[in-house]
Amino acid sequence: MSGTHCKKERKLIGDRGDYFLNRIQGETGENISACYQCERCTNACPVAHYMDIKPHQVIRHIQMGWREDLMASSTIWICLSCEMCTTYCPNEVGVAETINHLRNMAAHSSITPKEKHLAVFHETFLKELQRFGRVNEFWLMNAFNLKPGILKEKIASGLLTEEILLGLTLWKKGRLHLLPRRSKAIREIKEVYRRQRGGIV
Amino acid sequence: MQISFYPGCSLEGMANDYGHSITAVFDRLGIEAVELEDWSCCGSTAAHSLSEMMALILPARNLAAAEKVGLDLVTPCANCFNRLSYSQKMIQKRLFDVPWEVKGDGKVHDMTRFLAQPEMIARIGQKVARPLKGLKVVCYYGCQTVRSPRITGYSDFENPQTLDMLAAAAGAEVIDWSFKSTCCGASIGIARKDIQESLTRRIYQKALQAGAEAIVVSCPLCQVNLDVIQKDATGQRAPVFYFTELLRLAFEGGGVRKWFRAHLTDPVPLLTEKGLL
Repeated sequence: MSGTHCKKERKLIGDRGDYFLNRIQGETGENISACYQCERCTNACPVAHYMDIKPHQVIRHIQMGWREDLMASSTIWICLSCEMCTTYCPNEVGVAETINHLRNMAAHSSITPKEKHLAVFHETFLKELQRFGRVNEFWLMNAFNLKPGILKEKIASGLLTEEILLGLTLWKKGRLHLLPRRSKAIREIKEVYRRQRGGIV
Repeated sequence: MQISFYPGCSLEGMANDYGHSITAVFDRLGIEAVELEDWSCCGSTAAHSLSEMMALILPARNLAAAEKVGLDLVTPCANCFNRLSYSQKMIQKRLFDVPWEVKGDGKVHDMTRFLAQPEMIARIGQKVARPLKGLKVVCYYGCQTVRSPRITGYSDFENPQTLDMLAAAAGAEVIDWSFKSTCCGASIGIARKDIQESLTRRIYQKALQAGAEAIVVSCPLCQVNLDVIQKDATGQRAPVFYFTELLRLAFEGGGVRKWFRAHLTDPVPLLTEKGLL
């Protein structure tokens, strides 16, 4: 293990050490202990160089019980779920599924996501789904931009202008539908949201 | 022949041209695709990112609707197929309580594989009246149709063949290349444009290096990404076709210009040059 974690020890009490490893193994059904750090997952990963904790290190972090580092990492948000890691793991560890589970845990924790925009985007998507039962790209992007802080940052970086121009082109090409379509099963969807997520997204 | 059809949200917006071409191809092949009446979003990346339970339940509702109809379910969208299959596998293993009555024994097809079955390929072969002679293409599958194999059931996930077979059936010259199922970045571009552009640009460049004049895809998001990345490209461009557009073109030739209006990289000059429009 490289970098800042060299001197860190395995955590042994509470939600750590074996406890954290067992918990993740139980919740995901993956055999995390089977990993022998061959780094095939990291080599297969198309976005490993954008991650602060590489996929094989994620597995090691779980074995060592370093939960907070994982929750605060950019890795869990950057992961594309493209399943390269899972596909090529010689020990059939579901690396992508495990990272996804960590992302779930982080989403339900109070830790600020390292990739705020990605986290907010997912949240917006689920909210739009709850509203219409289907998702309309135009409404999704508008709702996302209106989330606290997003618009300001996008204006500052000049991304908004770029996005509006692209949106205009796509609209001229007939690829944006300004009116969202509603699923006929919208009441069932809302009921599921209420039961699963207490009505909030 | 009748099938249930689950279009997915993209086909109502960004990929409406895909939708039109699918309707045309099914019509010519004599397949009656019955759209699931009350289909809803599969939850896509967002659902499994934030709530694994929602990622199982949202597709399960559509599976329940499909089982009521009792026909095989076909979906053209890569991610929808992946999420539906995933949910079905979990239902079969009884790993969660489904709020709807689902047995999980209905068949879920990804559209490329449905049309690449031997009898379908034969049927397509009979219909092709204007083969796309001399059109050099590479086929790009993206991630979600092929991976992970334990969900999608692809055994040739490293070198998938379904799109290649379909493009070849349409008479195109299919070039083998190494980036068939490399990730294009999907929706990460909304928040991290740098990552998505680096991934998509590489695929586009590798396609050109392989000697392709066009890219054939089956995933709406891959199409958008590969199309938009070429917006400001200098030099050679490679139009990005849905495979159904090529099939329809090979069946009857012209009359499909209106679909190509939706493309950012205009395919009309290439097709005109080849005498295919």
